[in-house]
Amino acid sequence: MHIHIVKRDKLPLWKKCCFYLAAVLAALVLGGVVLLSIGVNPLEYYTRMFTMGTMGNPIAYRVFENYLKDFVPLVLTSVALSLAFKMRFWNIGGEGQFIMGAISAAFVALKLGPSLPNAVTLLLMCLAAMVVAGLYGLLVAALKVRFGTNETLLTLMLNYVALYVLIFLGETKADWNFFLREDSVRPVFASFSDWVKFPAFSLGGRFTLNICVILTVVVGLLVYLYLKKTKQGYEIAVVGDSAGTARYAGMKVNRIVLRTVFLSACLIGLAAAFKVGTAGILSTAITNDVGWTGIIVAWLAQLNTVAIFLVAALICVLHNGSVAAAATFSRVDSSFANMLQGAILFLVLAADFFIRFRVVITKKGGRDNG
Amino acid sequence: MDKLAVLTAFLHSIVVYNIPLLYGTVGEITVEKSGSLNLGVEGIMAAGAIFGYIFGCYANSLLVGILAGFAAGALCGLLFALLTVTLQANQNITGLTLTTFGLGLYFFVGNSLKASGWPVMNDFANIKEGFADLSIPLLSDIPLLGKGLFSHNILVYLGIVIAIGMWWYLNKTSLGLRLRAVGENPAAADSVGINVNRSKYLHICLGCGIMGIGGYYMGLNMGGSFNSSCWINGYGWIAVALVIFANWNTALAIVGTFVFGFFNTLRVSGSSLAAAFPGALGWLASIPTQLYQALPFIITAIVLIITSIRNKRGSSGLPAALGLNYYREDR
Repeated sequence: MHIHIVKRDKLPLWKKCCFYLAAVLAALVLGGVVLLSIGVNPLEYYTRMFTMGTMGNPIAYRVFENYLKDFVPLVLTSVALSLAFKMRFWNIGGEGQFIMGAISAAFVALKLGPSLPNAVTLLLMCLAAMVVAGLYGLLVAALKVRFGTNETLLTLMLNYVALYVLIFLGETKADWNFFLREDSVRPVFASFSDWVKFPAFSLGGRFTLNICVILTVVVGLLVYLYLKKTKQGYEIAVVGDSAGTARYAGMKVNRIVLRTVFLSACLIGLAAAFKVGTAGILSTAITNDVGWTGIIVAWLAQLNTVAIFLVAALICVLHNGSVAAAATFSRVDSSFANMLQGAILFLVLAADFFIRFRVVITKKGGRDNG
Repeated sequence: MDKLAVLTAFLHSIVVYNIPLLYGTVGEITVEKSGSLNLGVEGIMAAGAIFGYIFGCYANSLLVGILAGFAAGALCGLLFALLTVTLQANQNITGLTLTTFGLGLYFFVGNSLKASGWPVMNDFANIKEGFADLSIPLLSDIPLLGKGLFSHNILVYLGIVIAIGMWWYLNKTSLGLRLRAVGENPAAADSVGINVNRSKYLHICLGCGIMGIGGYYMGLNMGGSFNSSCWINGYGWIAVALVIFANWNTALAIVGTFVFGFFNTLRVSGSSLAAAFPGALGWLASIPTQLYQALPFIITAIVLIITSIRNKRGSSGLPAALGLNYYREDR
């Protein structure tokens, strides 16, 4: 017997979806086995998790508001990363770019916020965050294009440089440090929620929809159109397929890489501005790991903009749901969501193999002619 | 306090608290030499830490702990190899997910156990004694340096032995040469009859197992007290950086560990050094601790950029096929 692996022709979409769905279900079953082994009823737990504890909850609208607060930065970061990934530019630096954007947005809010109208401040916050985050990403792209510097490792290092800059600002009590509250002896980040905040609209009832959610959907739509309908979007796809082909076709590959990475990092900055503008305060955990989770989301969604919205929604349910469920099931730590998320991705990666390849088993020692 | 004693304690801390980095780095070099970029070091060390610690305590044996840490790491490696070597999954994504998964596992197992009764390290005599410092005769009597460098627990010595052993293996044996061939050009290695997949599987598991021991060591260093911040606390990422700093050379990794460890320890002991030598080292107290924490990453970023500018292929230890999957039928 001889096992042989052959590349497959394209599978129809519905078959692909079946494979992925099976992978997600298998991960949930595996998680269920873990739950059973510590004596928790998986069905009850999953019900609690997937409803995020909203059932019979009088302040369920709050749960949805908080859910969207987590969803917006994640989905936007993930959409942004997918732009770079499409070119096979491994921007692992989402965390760092997000932090740089967040610091810039907070800078604007604290320095200019008190003297400018709300809308102007918010606009400037977004712009500052986008430019600074964009430049932080562009720096790596420029080195990659000019010297061939490994972008995976460099963006990884820059994440931590940015993180410690943020921690430094958060823990250093000094006269110059306007990021901290002046009236506190201990270092605490200053809040600016009194004068700057993204507005939220009431949709009847008590639920309010933050404008960031609408803007995020708009940005998602624009990116979708950009990738599918514009010349620049087409160029990204060609460079991703083969830089050689792109060069042969007369495209300026370096310029496309620089432009796209800048755009990718800009959008991550925008996500940071949304986050900071909604929270009204900086924090050393401001990223909520979206730079990491965003990578996983983008990959799970196969870099497809529409799918990213769906996958990000699911991942947010896992995270918020596990926190909500931990209140009832004290034996299940909320880190269960991270395990589950890992298991889902591992199984989806495995399913991916069976979508791309076919396993052929032939008998050894000549063909069977029947 | 005696001024010399402060210096000796400083040297001692550099070694004790940073050898886990060496495990992570040597493990990652082993994996990367096979052509796989594994970004899951942090998660793998976390898995090795929690399982090493628990099994070690339950068996009341340091050796069992080391073996369990190794096994947990190697199992993570097996998962990584299965996905990236056999199933052709993207290495960056698989590694990052392994980090999420490993940390999730760490907190899930740890918090579950904490609810039902956490094993306290000091209750287990064999672990406590096994982890105690062993002085090397004669060498440890050297003034100033002796107690700082030559009086350590067994995991310090084991780490150095593994690093030197791996250097010998990679550079002086034919098996090591074959592994490097796989990392440089798998198709060429395949064509001369090297079993590429077997070599990748073996070395990914071996390297991840070494990381697992490093994780266990971190846990013991923390005295086995489990709280909301992970024992590994970013050391896995520093190890990824250290691989570049050490130019993919496990012997240089020992030097790199002490360089990074020096800054790492200054962060903790800077103030006591400043107090002991106010004239010469008083300025240490005014340096923000975050600078020390960021330094490994800043240095590595600079090293990465400079080596890419000089771009002398051959002088760099970076395996040419790093990060690329090998699909045999594409040859």
